Amino acid sequence: MSMFKVRSLGVSYGGVHALSDVNLDVAEGQLVGLIGPNGAGKTTFVDAVSGLVGARGRVELDGEDLTGMPAHARARRGLARTFQSSELFEDLTVTENLRVTAEQPTWVRAFGETFGRRTPPPSAVADALTTLGLQDFADASPAELSQGQRKLVGVARALAARPRIICLDEPAAGLDTTESAELGRRLRAVADAGTALLLIDHDMGLVMGICDHLVVLEFGKVIALGPPSRVRDDLAVITAYLGASAVQPADAPVPDGGTPSSLTTGRPGVPSSAPETA
Amino acid sequence: MFGTQPQQAPSILPSNAVTVLGVTTPVDRFILTGLVIAVALALGALYRWTRFGLATRAASENEQAALLAGLSPNSVSLANTLLSALIAGLLGVLAAPIVQVDSVTLPLQVVPALAAALFAGFTSLWIACSAGILIGVMQSVVYYLSTQSWFPTDNGNAMPGLQQLLIFILMIIALYVKGAGLPRRGEVVEQRLPAVPLPDRLLRPAVLATAAAALALIVLPFDFRQALTNSLIGAIIVLSYVVITGYVGQISVMQLALSGTAGFVLSHLATGLHIPFPFNVLGATLLATLLGVAAGISALRVHGVSLAVVTLAAALAMEQALFTNTSFGGTAGVTVPPPRLFGVNLGPGAAFRGLDGNEPSPLFGFLVLSVAAALGLYVANLRRTGLGRRMLAVRSNERAAAAAGVNVRGVKIAAFAISSFIASAAGTLYGYNFGSVSAVRFTALAALGLIGFAYIGGITMVSGAVIAGLMSTEALIPHALDKWFGIKGSWALLFAGVSLIVTLIANPDGIAGANHRRKKAKQAARAAKAAQTRAENATPDTAGAETAPTPAEVAR
Repeated sequence: MSMFKVRSLGVSYGGVHALSDVNLDVAEGQLVGLIGPNGAGKTTFVDAVSGLVGARGRVELDGEDLTGMPAHARARRGLARTFQSSELFEDLTVTENLRVTAEQPTWVRAFGETFGRRTPPPSAVADALTTLGLQDFADASPAELSQGQRKLVGVARALAARPRIICLDEPAAGLDTTESAELGRRLRAVADAGTALLLIDHDMGLVMGICDHLVVLEFGKVIALGPPSRVRDDLAVITAYLGASAVQPADAPVPDGGTPSSLTTGRPGVPSSAPETA
Repeated sequence: MFGTQPQQAPSILPSNAVTVLGVTTPVDRFILTGLVIAVALALGALYRWTRFGLATRAASENEQAALLAGLSPNSVSLANTLLSALIAGLLGVLAAPIVQVDSVTLPLQVVPALAAALFAGFTSLWIACSAGILIGVMQSVVYYLSTQSWFPTDNGNAMPGLQQLLIFILMIIALYVKGAGLPRRGEVVEQRLPAVPLPDRLLRPAVLATAAAALALIVLPFDFRQALTNSLIGAIIVLSYVVITGYVGQISVMQLALSGTAGFVLSHLATGLHIPFPFNVLGATLLATLLGVAAGISALRVHGVSLAVVTLAAALAMEQALFTNTSFGGTAGVTVPPPRLFGVNLGPGAAFRGLDGNEPSPLFGFLVLSVAAALGLYVANLRRTGLGRRMLAVRSNERAAAAAGVNVRGVKIAAFAISSFIASAAGTLYGYNFGSVSAVRFTALAALGLIGFAYIGGITMVSGAVIAGLMSTEALIPHALDKWFGIKGSWALLFAGVSLIVTLIANPDGIAGANHRRKKAKQAARAAKAAQTRAENATPDTAGAETAPTPAEVAR
């Protein structure tokens, strides 16, 4: 039943195991969150499934084995992704950025087009811009956009390919709280329309709020998975995010070094249910 | 001042000889090798253990972070430039008695040196040093083998160009060992290339420019007619740079060598095999295009500077192995019979001689002009098509392009094919223009000069190619300078060198780019003004003009 299947994925850089034996399933129209502390291997996971980094294991989309395919072949089969730092094509306008993914002609066709007149963009481009609320920026150059808008264009570019699944690498980083909530609403709509999403983000409000299912990585291994309500209270997850001392009800304040102060949304401090799952 | 003849250099090192293993060897060879190793060791120590070395490594890894750490990347870079110039000068003085000192040999010594640097990934001193010495040894061995009786010969002389071919092959090996398909995460492949504006209108400027050139071909006196024809051919070659460097960001030095190859092949097809006019040109162009694609494929794993180095080596290999080989080309030149279509001569010696009745015929000018106009339109239109967008996507960001479903290697091969085709077509016109093809017109140094002109004109735009063509050797601008002001070509080249540096610093998108920006800013200012008056007329309170882009926004 799962449309996107990853089995025993492993990546090593030299002697360091960036990912080991990771399994992951995403069903059609499902919104799966992939979370974990910095350096857990989340981006490496996306790089590996999208073919930008060599990996062991197996990646399957709609029953087709993508293992060993180059990145562009995976993209053309419906596996899209975004980048942490947007990585827009700086020399192209926003519409042209989207057209690169939306148009995937054969070589003969592409060569024939170079002798023809210019063509209007395919409808997928306008659809993706509307979905992300970017209609007003269609002719802008990426250099004119704010960081948040660039992130949205990155998502729109992935969406314009009409993919089966999009791996979103921190789309909400650089957005403020209202923008982030707005993005969450739009992502939920994309998933409900049938495109599966794999969401990586540190904004726990966003992740907990919209995901159907969560997978937690630490040191390249899956340490927990399940619906958000269960993962939120998982002892291993809390330890990974807050350190072992956080599990004990201690008087000392929890160190807050860039990690979210709590996995629960809007409630600071140690989750009260933590000892129960222990 | 110095002339083009080889200069005598006094020996600084002792010139006596010693006998090692039964072979008499001048002792300075050993001293020189020892010195090279000593310099490498000293540099290694300098970069490893001193504060200056630490600063240099920091600045080369991350300029911004170095800046934040209180280092000045500019002064670090200046100090390193001085150091490298000092070492190069020192070794040049010491090696002068061994190598030939003239205006061509010594500058091209840089190619085997760059091969060693490629092996070292431009970072490891000891690999560079040992690879450099090994390459030198291998070149000497090839030279020794070429004196043997079994060695293949060309007109009684040893086959030329094998040393250059060896270097090119070594580079390809180095790239396969060290190179990667796509740049990795966080790998800096930043190369600031000028923007590639989307042309709004194509037909009107194309028709105007073509009509003006056609009129000029009829009314101009014969020498200016010749210069204009040269300019057009130069512009076509630069068009090939617009595709490969301007659109795809790959610096290829071998385009002029491909032109030469096409010219030589045309001569063989026309005189040897008697293939008639349009077909011999087509055959020669396609054959040279295939060669360009093959060289491009072997260099697919490299980017930026390394690609420039590899294609420079490829250009040298073609120059030495093909052009100076008398069975293919030769420095004396091979003749190219004029093009004839249905019995009508279309070459420079055609019957129609313009207003002054001299050669070259405007008819040949029209032939060149129509090819230039067609290829110029094609290249400008390419920017507006899907393939053009994918080329720019590859230029901006290869990783993101691959993730967006763009076949990066395929796009690069397509660019090499289009660019090689254009350069090869220019080569056949070149052959017709002079009635012959000779090696001296297609040297690697001439190719580097042409790339310089392309940058000054604007390497990302067709109008830039036209400007570059007008400035190139024996083209309209140098000819007018010579004729009216008595300024010789060599001074024009010096001027071009200076203006290239000015261009890179002050105006990276060249003359054409600056012109385009000025026009855009004007348009935007007009639009802003119109929006403002409209807003004032409708509702004086609302700031409707804010929605119109300001000139500064559009210009960037």
